[in-house]
Amino acid sequence: MAFPALVIAEKDLRQRIRDRSAIILGVVAPLVIAALMSLAFSGTETIHLTLGVVNSDHGAAAAGLVDALRSPALEDLVTVVPETSEAAASAAVRAGHTGAAMVIPPGFTASISGARPLPLTTLTNVNNAPAAQITSSIAQSFVAQVNADRLSVALAVAGGRSPAAASAALAATRPTLPVQTVERAFGAKELKTASYYAPAMAIFFLLFTVSFTSRSFFVDRDQGMLERILAAPVRPISVLLGKVLSAFVFGVASLGIIIAVTTLAFGADWGDPLAAASLSLAMVLAVTVTTALVIVVARTQRQAEGISSFVIFGLALLGGNFVFVSVTPSIMQRLALLTPNGWALRGYTDLATTGGGLAVAVVPIAAILAYTVAAAAVVAVLAPRVLER
Amino acid sequence: MTPAENGAAPGPILEVVGLTRRFGDRVAVDDVSFSIPPGEIYGLLGPNGAGKTTTIKMVCGLLHPDRGTVRIAGHPAGSLAAKAQVGYVPQDIALYPDLTGRENLRFLGRLFGLGSDLLDERVDEALELTNLGDRAKERLSAYSGGMQRRLNIAAGLLNHPVLLVLDEPTVGVDPQSRHAILERVQTFGQLGMAVVYTTHYMEEAERVCDRVGIVDQGRLVAEGTRRDLVDRLGERDRIELGATGNLDLLASACRDLDGVDGAAVADRHVQLLVHDGRKLLPAVLEAAERTGIRVSSVDVVEPDLEAVFLHLTGTALRD
Repeated sequence: MAFPALVIAEKDLRQRIRDRSAIILGVVAPLVIAALMSLAFSGTETIHLTLGVVNSDHGAAAAGLVDALRSPALEDLVTVVPETSEAAASAAVRAGHTGAAMVIPPGFTASISGARPLPLTTLTNVNNAPAAQITSSIAQSFVAQVNADRLSVALAVAGGRSPAAASAALAATRPTLPVQTVERAFGAKELKTASYYAPAMAIFFLLFTVSFTSRSFFVDRDQGMLERILAAPVRPISVLLGKVLSAFVFGVASLGIIIAVTTLAFGADWGDPLAAASLSLAMVLAVTVTTALVIVVARTQRQAEGISSFVIFGLALLGGNFVFVSVTPSIMQRLALLTPNGWALRGYTDLATTGGGLAVAVVPIAAILAYTVAAAAVVAVLAPRVLER
Repeated sequence: MTPAENGAAPGPILEVVGLTRRFGDRVAVDDVSFSIPPGEIYGLLGPNGAGKTTTIKMVCGLLHPDRGTVRIAGHPAGSLAAKAQVGYVPQDIALYPDLTGRENLRFLGRLFGLGSDLLDERVDEALELTNLGDRAKERLSAYSGGMQRRLNIAAGLLNHPVLLVLDEPTVGVDPQSRHAILERVQTFGQLGMAVVYTTHYMEEAERVCDRVGIVDQGRLVAEGTRRDLVDRLGERDRIELGATGNLDLLASACRDLDGVDGAAVADRHVQLLVHDGRKLLPAVLEAAERTGIRVSSVDVVEPDLEAVFLHLTGTALRD
């Protein structure tokens, strides 16, 4: 004889598989969105700027700047494209052929040794903020260096050397731009976009289990099925267990398929298999208990739908399923750690960047289970009252 | 299968004693008591809102009574042992439209702990009993309303219940399907099941029930066989007036006549409980004429449960 909870879970799964919307939400949508996210953000992992340069000066300082831009230190970051005029450079930026442009005005070199040095002009596109930032940063670095040189000459002259000798000594040096530093995560490996958005989207759509499982409970109740089931020798708690068991099995299957497909098709790195599986199971368990929580808190189907939507989007926004948590303000980063999905994403990220095993995921798993136990305690308190009403 | 074969204790299958249930200030069921032996079809007859459904929900263990007891084959209602003996057929179709007929029955059968072979046997039997065998593989959503009703009943038979509870099983059903359902219900009694049959259709209660309990405003106001109940009327007849206009005014005018024991409005008709209907008919028509209401049909009916209900409650069965 099968346990009633298993019978109910099996029936629910049969209905869910038959209902294509569940398959779309549980498998197809996360794969498609993760692929689109990866596509949209691929290229942001390594930034490269095509910079138009208008050299109207042709003096030593201008040549020094162009040489510096073409130096080995910047070749990964910048490709210099000569432009004939400011208008041509501006058109190229507008058309997106170059990310930004720098205009060296006529007389620039000569003006450096004068009282009023001529300014460098940068041309940027508001739609390409990273390019604008890099160009501005390069220009400011160069200007800072020029100012430092002017100060050196002034000090040398004040120290008794002739201005010509000081300038000649300075001209013998080549301008060098400061070494760019790139901040990376603490892990040994770089985090690929797909390795973040695959779990982020998988968890986001996993959260929808809360909605359609809790909804199915109230549909059963409103259509008289709950009464019919309870008229059989079935304890009320078996109905709730059956519902959440089906949510758990569906969640595990959905996440498993997404892990397999994103790994094989998009090259997403979920980290050590055992650790990733443990983390995934903990997350599915958290979602399952959240489902039970919504069922025992809501009183009607409409309430269940409303609460589910709030839970899904609230957790997803706080937990970082839509944006990299690391680029959000510190308050958001702290709030993310109040959510099970925030911990799960942190766990997947750590696994992907450190290449570590289960030990790396222990803290995220423990945090998710702590949330699960707390939610389960609330369910245990409310369930008898709710199921008897 | 007989109740004895199903492990039922000898004596009444269903014993209801002093059953009471309130919803806030409203008393939905008020001190109701009755019992049903094996093989008897017991009708709970009353208008909508009389407390029939609340009563049977307590019988099936779906609602806790505030007071009173229910025992099914000796087991307290709501216990797993009692539930195992009950087949419940709710008023609304309580089945999954996205599952096939067979899948619905298999699901419900498994909840009663039926194992694989026995489950298939019971499902086939229930499908055959309700003439749905050839549609078993179709989804419920493809069934007609009458077929869904029949499958709804079939689902209540899977556990070979000693007590079958049917809550208004013919509501919204076409006459042909209703006839088929009523025929089938009569056979359940012959199979040895005790049957509780709630209805607000007097004709159904008269046709299928061995005994009838008349329920009004939560109280069981009378019970007995049809003959017992009708005999309470003595020589009274029921006059049914079809008319258009203010029927309450017509009923009120008739109520004042000598020989009229009761008058009520139901289904765009005025029901009168009278002594010697044929003799009183001219006076009734005169009263109608005085009110200015045009009577379109007159029917003098032999004593029936409708008249009994009017006699006992002063209201019509279908308000």
